Amino acid sequence: MKLMKKLAVTAVAILALGTSANADKLDKIISKGKIRCGVVLDFPPMGYRDTKNKPAGFDVEYCKDLSKALGVELELKSMSFAQRLPALNAGKVDVVIGSTSDTLARAKSAGFSIPYFVFKLQVMVKKDSGINTFADLKGKKITAALSTTPETEFLKNAKGMGWDSANYFSSKSESDTHLALLQGKADAIVTTDTTIVELLKLDKYKNYKAGPFVPNYDDFVSIIVKRTEYGMINYMNLFIHQQIRTGRYEELNKMFYGNSPVRKLTVDGIYY
Amino acid sequence: MFDIDYTFHWITVWNVFPEMLSAALVTLEVAVISMIVGLTIAVFLALGKDSNNELFRTPAVIWIEIARNTPALFQIYMAYFGLGAFGIHLSPYIAVLAALIFNNAGYLAETLRGGFSAISRTQISASRSLGMTMFQTYRYIILPQVLRIVYHPMTNQMIWSILMTSLGTLVGMLELTGKTDQLQSLSFRTFEFYLVAAVMYFVIAKMVLLGSKLLSYKLFRGDVA
Repeated sequence: MKLMKKLAVTAVAILALGTSANADKLDKIISKGKIRCGVVLDFPPMGYRDTKNKPAGFDVEYCKDLSKALGVELELKSMSFAQRLPALNAGKVDVVIGSTSDTLARAKSAGFSIPYFVFKLQVMVKKDSGINTFADLKGKKITAALSTTPETEFLKNAKGMGWDSANYFSSKSESDTHLALLQGKADAIVTTDTTIVELLKLDKYKNYKAGPFVPNYDDFVSIIVKRTEYGMINYMNLFIHQQIRTGRYEELNKMFYGNSPVRKLTVDGIYY
Repeated sequence: MFDIDYTFHWITVWNVFPEMLSAALVTLEVAVISMIVGLTIAVFLALGKDSNNELFRTPAVIWIEIARNTPALFQIYMAYFGLGAFGIHLSPYIAVLAALIFNNAGYLAETLRGGFSAISRTQISASRSLGMTMFQTYRYIILPQVLRIVYHPMTNQMIWSILMTSLGTLVGMLELTGKTDQLQSLSFRTFEFYLVAAVMYFVIAKMVLLGSKLLSYKLFRGDVA
C-alpha cells in the first residue's frame, strides 16, 4: 500500500509538472484566451491607420484571421520596424505580422514562418528626371528608410556597381523618405512597389512616377515569433497555407491591391 | 525583462565592431567641432546680451532664448527639413552639426554670462587705466578668470553634446546610434548591439571627463571653481 501511495503521489506530481513546465507559447495563448499581435502602422497598405484612426491593412486583417483561427481574443500592438524583434524577445508580443524580410542572418535571431507576402523593391522618381534604368541612378542623390531591406539591397547593388556611397543618405522612417523626395533633398527613393502605388494615388505626387526595380531581389516577408517556439512556427506555416487555400489571401489582395495580379508566393524550382 | 532562454551572440557584434568604432569617431568629431565653434559664438552672444547696444543685444537674446527653450530634436529637424522647405538642402551631417552648434552656443552663452557676472566690473576699469585695450583686457584679465569659473559646467556641456549627437539618427545621420540601428537590423541582434553602443557612450564620456581633469591641471593647476 505504501508503494502504491508513493506511486500515486509521483504520478500526480508528474502530471502537475507536465501541464505547466511543458506548456509552450501556443498553450499559453490558448489558456489565456488572448493573442498579442505586433503590427507596423506606417507602411500602407500592409499597415496604416484609417480615417477613424483605427489600425487597418493587410497585416491587421491577418492578425484578426489568426486570432479567429485560434479562437482567442486579439490585442493589436503598434510598433516601428526597429522594435519588432526586441518586442518579441522581451515578451511584449506573441507574434509579429509586420512585413519582415526573411534573411538568413535574421533567422539566427528570430523564428520565421514560410513567406506570407512578397514585394518588389522599386525606385520612385520625378517624371522628368530621365531615370529609366537602375544604372541611371549613378551619381543621383538617393535615400531609403534606415534599417530596412530597401536600404540594405540598394547599398549592396550600389557597392557592386562601384558607386560613390556619399550620394546615398538614410532617412529615419518611410514617411521621412517621402518628405525628402518632395522637398528635392533626394532625386530618388528606394522602397517597395506597393508603397509607390499607394503614393501615386495622392495628388501631391502627380509629377512623380514608379522608376526601375532593384535588380535580382524578391523581398519575401514572413510572420515572426521567438526562434525557439516551434509550436508557433508550425501553426503559422499552416495558417499561411490555409489563408491561400481558403481564398482569403486572394480576397485581401483584391481589397488592398485592387486589380493588380495576385502575388504568387512560390519560387520556381524548389519546395519551400 | 529577458526571458531566461535568451542567448547572446556577441560574435555578431564583434564581426562589425570596426564599423561601430568609426561611427563612434563621427560622434566624437561632431561633438568636439560643435563645442569649439559653439564656445566661440557663445563668447559673442554673452557679451551681446550684456551689451547696451540694441543691435547686438536683440539677436543675442533671440538666439539664446530659442536655443535654450526648444528641444534639440526640434532644432535638428528645423535644420534638416525646415530649411529643406526653403530649398536649402544640408546633408544630415551638416544639419546635425549646425543644430548642435546653435544649441551649444545658446547654453554656453548663459554659462559664460554667469562667469562674467562673477568678475567684478572694477577689474575692467583697473585694466583700462593701466593702458590695456578692451581686447587685451578681455584676453588677459577677464576670460582666463571666467574660463576657470565655468570650467566644470563646460565639461558637462561637452558630455551633454556627445550624448545629444544620438538625436542625429532621427534625420538619418549614421553616428554611433544610427550605425548601431543599421547594423542590428541586419542580424536582429538588438540587445547585443545596443548594449555595446551604451558601453561605448559611457567609455567616451568617462574619457572626456578624465581628459578635462588632466587639462584643468595643465591650464589652472587644478584650481577650478
